[in-house]
Amino acid sequence: MIELIDNISQLLAVLLAFIASGSLFYKSRLQSYLLISCFYGTFMLGSLYWTLHYFLFDYTPQLFYVSELAWIASYTFLLTLEYSLSTVEERKFFHPGLWLVPIFCIPQLIIYFSIGDILFNILLGSLTMSVAWFSLRGLFYARRQTGKSRDRQIFHIAVLVIIVLEYSLWTSSCFWVSNDLTNPYFWIDFMLTASMLALLPAMKKAVTS
Amino acid sequence: MTYIENIFVCIAAPLLLSTIYIGKKYRSFIIFTLAGMGACLLSAYINTFFASLYKADFINATTQIAPVVEEVMKLLPLLFYLLVFEPRSEKIRMAVVILATGFATFENIVYLIENGAAQLSFILIRGLGTGAMHIVCGGIVGIGLVYVWQHSWLKIAGTFGLLCSAITFHACYNLLIAHGGFTQYIAFALPLLTIIIGVVVSRLYKSKYQPLPS
Repeated sequence: MIELIDNISQLLAVLLAFIASGSLFYKSRLQSYLLISCFYGTFMLGSLYWTLHYFLFDYTPQLFYVSELAWIASYTFLLTLEYSLSTVEERKFFHPGLWLVPIFCIPQLIIYFSIGDILFNILLGSLTMSVAWFSLRGLFYARRQTGKSRDRQIFHIAVLVIIVLEYSLWTSSCFWVSNDLTNPYFWIDFMLTASMLALLPAMKKAVTS
Repeated sequence: MTYIENIFVCIAAPLLLSTIYIGKKYRSFIIFTLAGMGACLLSAYINTFFASLYKADFINATTQIAPVVEEVMKLLPLLFYLLVFEPRSEKIRMAVVILATGFATFENIVYLIENGAAQLSFILIRGLGTGAMHIVCGGIVGIGLVYVWQHSWLKIAGTFGLLCSAITFHACYNLLIAHGGFTQYIAFALPLLTIIIGVVVSRLYKSKYQPLPS
């Protein structure tokens, strides 16, 4: 039951964010709003399929990666958004702290390889690592700026939080404890839903800066 | 056992012959219909191959394998048309709709041969629902491609995102159909509602950004 509540709440939250970002694009016609609405839209479709499958058949899809394809597409849009928001100078910027991304991600990826499909995990893992790398670089870069350019750090923090929570979620799903609230998986997923909602205002602030 | 390749030959033969007599303007219509039907035929073969490879039962094959295979197969003739002929945007939209209609028509023909045509009301609802679903999925890819291919920063992510959106929409539809009962009717209504919402949103968008000439 808690899994269904968790899935439905995430679906509704992402749907709400999709409608809000879509209406922002409708009003402003800004590229960034289109990309973030594509991110929310594809993520929402993946969640819809996952939730429907669980609701109708009482188990999550086991055979092929339909929802995961939608989530890969959503992270591709997030990566494009991170890239399109960065300046030429920012793309050349490097900070040694960026190595934290592979240090955090690769050991967890090894766990996923031991349990799941290698090709799919390489694809999703490298994509999310790239998003984390871009956002951490953006964060370091924005912290060196003055004035309104510093406001972008909020957006990069929001993206980083999503990636960290996503990895924590996948890792906790490898060590399934129970089907109730004693399982950290559900708490992490609720936090992920909240961080998804927080991304839109953070993005709005980054665009206005 | 259904010999779908024989059915395809029977349907394709008169259509192909008609291309000799009809004008160039209508020839593309027949060719896209045949491409859609051909994509459906090849999808059936590939679906069967993957279903046996993964040892999938009917529900898993319908809800997890078929949407991926069918949407990829539908995209291939369209990609060929886009890359080789570089058509104008209005021609792309038309091509996608005809391709999707051809696909849906052949799928409906095979369904009728396998399940019979006794219940007209159900067949009518199913035919409309399936047709609308393939047109919606084609529309997501086709109309989306017209937009994303105009922007180099969006080409890769956009094409992949559109394909995944179409796959997931198709999979949700198949999921509701495979469950049976009342949810089937929700599935049939879903693409029709999506078409209505899509038309309303696109009209609103056009009215805001394309002012009428004074």
